[in-house]
Amino acid sequence: MEVFGNLALGFATALQPFNILMLFIGVTLGLIIGVLPGLGGTSGVAILLPVTVFIASSGPGGPTSAVILLAGVYWGALFGGVVTSILFNIPGEPWAVALLFDGFPLAKRLGKPGLALTCSFLASFVGAFIATLLFTFFAKPLADIALAFGPPELFAVFVLSFTTLVGLGSESPLKSVMMIGFGLLLAAVGFDTITGEPRLTFGQTTVLSGIGFVPVTIGLFGIGEILASAEESGIGYVERLSTRLGFKDLFEALAAMRQRIWMVVTNSVIGFWFGVLPGHGATAGSFLGYGLARQYSKNKQNFGKGEISGIMAPQCTADAAAVGSLVPMITLGVPGSPTSAVMMAGLFIWGLTPGPLLFIQHPDFVWGLIASIYLGHFMTFVICLLAVPLLAAIMRIPYAILTPFIIVISIIGSYSINNSLFDVFITIFFGLVGYWLRKLKYPLAPLVVAIVLGDSTERELRKSLIMSGGSPLIFFSNVRAATLMLISFALLLLPLLQTIRQRLAGAPVTTDG
Amino acid sequence: MRPYQVGTAGVFVLLAAVAMLDSRKGALIGASRDPGGMGAGFYPFWAAALMGIAGLAVMYAVATTPQPAEGVFRGRESVFAVLQLVIPMLVATVALVWLGIYIVTALYMGFFARYIGRYRWVWVVLIAVAVPAATYLGFELGFRVALPKSVFYGALLPV
Repeated sequence: MEVFGNLALGFATALQPFNILMLFIGVTLGLIIGVLPGLGGTSGVAILLPVTVFIASSGPGGPTSAVILLAGVYWGALFGGVVTSILFNIPGEPWAVALLFDGFPLAKRLGKPGLALTCSFLASFVGAFIATLLFTFFAKPLADIALAFGPPELFAVFVLSFTTLVGLGSESPLKSVMMIGFGLLLAAVGFDTITGEPRLTFGQTTVLSGIGFVPVTIGLFGIGEILASAEESGIGYVERLSTRLGFKDLFEALAAMRQRIWMVVTNSVIGFWFGVLPGHGATAGSFLGYGLARQYSKNKQNFGKGEISGIMAPQCTADAAAVGSLVPMITLGVPGSPTSAVMMAGLFIWGLTPGPLLFIQHPDFVWGLIASIYLGHFMTFVICLLAVPLLAAIMRIPYAILTPFIIVISIIGSYSINNSLFDVFITIFFGLVGYWLRKLKYPLAPLVVAIVLGDSTERELRKSLIMSGGSPLIFFSNVRAATLMLISFALLLLPLLQTIRQRLAGAPVTTDG
Repeated sequence: MRPYQVGTAGVFVLLAAVAMLDSRKGALIGASRDPGGMGAGFYPFWAAALMGIAGLAVMYAVATTPQPAEGVFRGRESVFAVLQLVIPMLVATVALVWLGIYIVTALYMGFFARYIGRYRWVWVVLIAVAVPAATYLGFELGFRVALPKSVFYGALLPV
């Protein structure tokens, strides 16, 4: 088959010593960028763009080495972003937010930071591997189909992401709905992207640009958790965790993966597809992956308490979506995510035009990149596994040093996104809000998902209504959108039906809404 | 627990009411002359409505079903433990405006090391110097991320 010949060419390119060096540098930098809160894969790739001009023009590998370096940063950041999520409950990257829900509980409450990290790295690796296989064999036809996904379908996908969080298995569906409303409302603050009108600003200029989801998330989870644990365990409490790690965690993670292999494969395929859809990358994919895994899990009640599926699902989906986001960028010149948009800018700078012709004019570039995705993920996986004991040992740092350090890192993380002290105040405020909501058993995951996806949801909703001249029937005008909407409604109605059934049977009903 | 639950849900209902009032223009499809018949207020209005209606339902649910008898806090010690964290954190955040990140980090880390960790002064000073220095090297020099500073920094740091 032609694909295998092309792939062999790609590996021959990617395995050249200089390209391997670029990949190693990219992956290592990406890991560091991923671990540091506030610095994202997108900014990491952007920072390195000027360097790649020299690599592309005078390096031995030309633009291929340059794209391998940038892609390496992306993969490294995807793996590295989970580290602080799992160990400190602070997301290193937006796509690692979904990891907070189960990664941190497994690391802290169940005392298995090594297992949590290993599971996440393994899921990243497998998700990316599956996605790269799909990239290798189906890149072009998939990109064509993805372009047929218009605003109504995308809106329906977002609605589905929300309803999976409310549907069966949620402890308090009403509170989940409330938190989704709150998140959507927060996302709407600031300039309206279509009309330019300020909304919910109450005359304050500082909120005109909106409330960022990263400062809110750092506050809700990072600071909120520190306050909650100070209360639960008392101040001065030192973690007693097993940080003697070795192959045990890897074997345990592999065994866990074997039990969940279908979930991982399905989520990776969905993640890849989600990444291929223009405009949506790893972040939205990770939430969708988490929601779907919870919806179809037999252990729904364990989600949010350190369930391994809750770690593997968002992580494999996010990584697969990241790989998928390169597909429309390469094949059509339409970036699938913000990071791939920056990479596409690189392509133009190096004198390449993304699109179908790229496969014909520069096969060594395209296939070298594809081969480097396989190699890059393998390299990142090995580096991460070797670093697990070191990373997990961080949790043994005494409370009097670790706690203020986490708060300082949270402040830096929220400040550095927009160089704004207002964002720091938002983080601290939402830290207190998160602490209080946690005490009253409000689910925080729906709130975060709604803040993150709120803007995109509104954009697709309004684009759809503009298309239909204001008729909401557009969401049922074709099979794809209608099916997704009907599934969403069914998920939303399930808790209600369950409550009615419980009442009819005389069983006790959830007491906290 | 019930008063806290009802009160918290009540705050959200109030918040929803304010937001709905603020964005009532263009709340209905067709009410606006903007494309698609949706004004800027449509989305926030209905998001707030979703939150408000769910909030009312939560209030009804917690008021009509049995709730745990204990309060929100376990006792004075737990309130004290949280305040010990919250107060220095708030002070440090406000101080950022005047002192910048490095001085605040040094004081904040030093305070914790001394008063919570009960470390010797040598260690306190070491921590208070090492953490801001590492932050400076990593963020400002390594990744060129500008962090909050103040008038005290001109002579101290070449940034």
